[in-house]
Amino acid sequence: MPIEGRHISYRYPNAAGEVFADLNFRMDGPGFHALFGPSGVGKTTLAKMLSGTIRGFEGTIADDGVRRVLYTYNLERLPGWSNVRAHFEEIAPLAGRRRMEELIETFGMEANVGSRFHRLSLGQQNRANLIRYLLQDFDLLIMDESLANVDEFTREKIILKVKILFPDRCFLYISHNVAEVAKFCSQVLVLRSRSRSPQLVAVQGCDHRESAESDPGLLERAMLEIVHAA
Amino acid sequence: MLHRRIYQFLIIYAIGLGLLLALKYGLNLSDYVIPSPDEIVRTCRTYGGPYLLAVLNTLAVAVLGHILSICLATVVAVIGRLTAWIGSFIRTAAYNIQAYPIVAVAPIIFILLGDGLQSRLLIAAMICYFPLLLSFIGVFSEPIREIEHFYESTGRMTWRLQVKIRAFENIQKLTTVIVGSATMAMVGTIVAEFIAATAGIGYSIRIALYQSDLAKILVALFLIGVGTSLYLVSLEWAGNALQKRLKSL
Amino acid sequence: MKPSLKIICIACAIFLIACAQKEKLEEVNYRLKWLYNVSAVGDLYAETRGYFTRNGLKVNVKPGGPERDALKELELGHAHFGVASADQVLRAAAKGAPIVVLAQLFQVNPLHWIYRPDQTVFSGGEELKGKRIGVTFGGNDEAILRALLARYGIAESQVTLFSVRYDYTPFYEGRVDFWPLYLNAQAVIIAEKLEKAGETYAFLSPDRLGVRFVANSVVTTREMVEKRPETVKRFLTALLEGWRDALDPRNQDQAIQVLLDADRETPEAVVRKQLPVTRELMLPAARIEFGKIDAVAWKQTEAILRSQNLIPGSVDVESLLFTFK
Repeated sequence: MPIEGRHISYRYPNAAGEVFADLNFRMDGPGFHALFGPSGVGKTTLAKMLSGTIRGFEGTIADDGVRRVLYTYNLERLPGWSNVRAHFEEIAPLAGRRRMEELIETFGMEANVGSRFHRLSLGQQNRANLIRYLLQDFDLLIMDESLANVDEFTREKIILKVKILFPDRCFLYISHNVAEVAKFCSQVLVLRSRSRSPQLVAVQGCDHRESAESDPGLLERAMLEIVHAA
Repeated sequence: MLHRRIYQFLIIYAIGLGLLLALKYGLNLSDYVIPSPDEIVRTCRTYGGPYLLAVLNTLAVAVLGHILSICLATVVAVIGRLTAWIGSFIRTAAYNIQAYPIVAVAPIIFILLGDGLQSRLLIAAMICYFPLLLSFIGVFSEPIREIEHFYESTGRMTWRLQVKIRAFENIQKLTTVIVGSATMAMVGTIVAEFIAATAGIGYSIRIALYQSDLAKILVALFLIGVGTSLYLVSLEWAGNALQKRLKSL
Repeated sequence: MKPSLKIICIACAIFLIACAQKEKLEEVNYRLKWLYNVSAVGDLYAETRGYFTRNGLKVNVKPGGPERDALKELELGHAHFGVASADQVLRAAAKGAPIVVLAQLFQVNPLHWIYRPDQTVFSGGEELKGKRIGVTFGGNDEAILRALLARYGIAESQVTLFSVRYDYTPFYEGRVDFWPLYLNAQAVIIAEKLEKAGETYAFLSPDRLGVRFVANSVVTTREMVEKRPETVKRFLTALLEGWRDALDPRNQDQAIQVLLDADRETPEAVVRKQLPVTRELMLPAARIEFGKIDAVAWKQTEAILRSQNLIPGSVDVESLLFTFK
């Protein structure tokens, strides 16, 4: 299920300049991909176009076979009237309860799910939010800084587990961490400022998996490529 | 122990009364202009009981009117949140109607509904309804994006859930508005009674004014102040208990 | 001197004289009991037609209203003269207010009750028994009605008292037999409506039934009478003269015009009907002098208020009523 954007141009209503002008990209099939770029280049805008929140842009996004796109971002909150586990149980299908427990364990949240959302640390909040999205039915999950404020070790653990648990799904991970996207992502879409052409460059990442050995040379090359492209 | 609101009222009342008496003795005014402490105490003994009943009568109508307004404001605000157009229409209408002084509208209400309970209730409700409505519309039509996004994008959002999220997130604001409008409900009822009803403390004040009897009015004001403070204290207590309960769950 | 210069000099001289004249006028405030209406026609007439000025006074005739109390303003020094009802005066006097009555505007209290003679049989006070009677609780009419009931030996349980406000619907609908109103104000309007509807009407006059409850009077403070007797004298002279002329049928058109200029809400046709009624209430007999203080009526008013516990104790009425020697 490749996702391909062609000749995308967009300007926010009443905005002076365009965010995108003739933007092209392609994301090949399931896997863990990244959208990388400096602040303000339009990563969130592109994510919202993919999730269908922003419409009325020029160009096309072809996503045959992608039934359901979900977009999550790091400022989301769970309602405060019950604890985190109760919320999970409310939105997780009965059949998915085992997976729910698995995710809670992988995300290191066993001790926290009995608390209200507002009592969690920022990192814990982001993890709790991501768990509930992973319990949904989706083909593409766009994670906009979804692991912000989570320590590096836990982040790595989460990403590797997600790859194992959801091998047939597509993820688009928006992050500012070069090393992270270079190491764990399969394709890194580097979005650049409007003045540069092309506005988006695709770089091959290392797509590191749990069982595989990581190659420091390959990682370094990927990182350099990403930095140059940006 | 006396609640903060009640002793604050008692202090203000005592200061006000003290100033009046200072003015009376300073300017050597007769008991007709400002009653003597003796007369106030005498009036309190004679009229304290009936006036207390009248204040309770007024308070009962004010509480009923207040509850009515809260329910109505919730319903209208929930409807008003459906589309931006309806919300803005209701808001504009509420602002316009609120602009009419109730003393101008009240006589029409009394002519149509008579001077019984209905009119008092309606006027009390009208006076506190519009400020409540405007706040409620504000609360219920303002999305809490960071919470609602998940339910919207996963197709789980229902109108009940949306209302629940917005009410929960603004519970403190809603409590404050409800407590604030309680005073207006009380004032509205008194105004209604003053204008045309035949019961309640507003009606008693009107008669006292006919008789230029400031002592009666001072006794009435004291009882109104205590009654209103008690109502506000109860509302604040209920609001705090609700908030605490929601937080501790 | 050039003719133009001459004119300027004369104009300046006239201006200076006028200013000097104006400076000489003593300014006093006169607070009415109610808004400008036919019951204040003489006050307005005296003000606008120069009666006060001719007596060396600049009188600010201020309208009253439900929230105004001329007696309190007198004591606080905001007004020098005022109009108050007799019950107000007696209540204030009973509480030690230092006031005196200078003149009595109405010889007959304008407060009456309207009824339909074809539906309500009424020929004497005793017949109030069993009737539904409108009353403004706390108002003058309550005191007058209670006095009437007492006079004719009728207990409150033998009548139905109906609380009255500004809406006359209960009377129009026949739910109340007697409805209180002011004969020289609302009565004119209500009567017209009933006439249009082909209905008959009549008025119950408490005065004719033996209850003489004094209405509006002109009052001032004892201090004014003692310290500024000349001012009081000049004020009273001008006021009574103004009233006499305003009520004189020969001056009717001017009086109506003065009133219409002050009260733009009431139509001329209504004012034309109100003025003769007012005259009748203020000068019921040709030989009565305008402003005469009816001591007997005052004493009866005091007795009524005392019997109904509306004043804490008895009031020495004689000392309240002031006459220049």
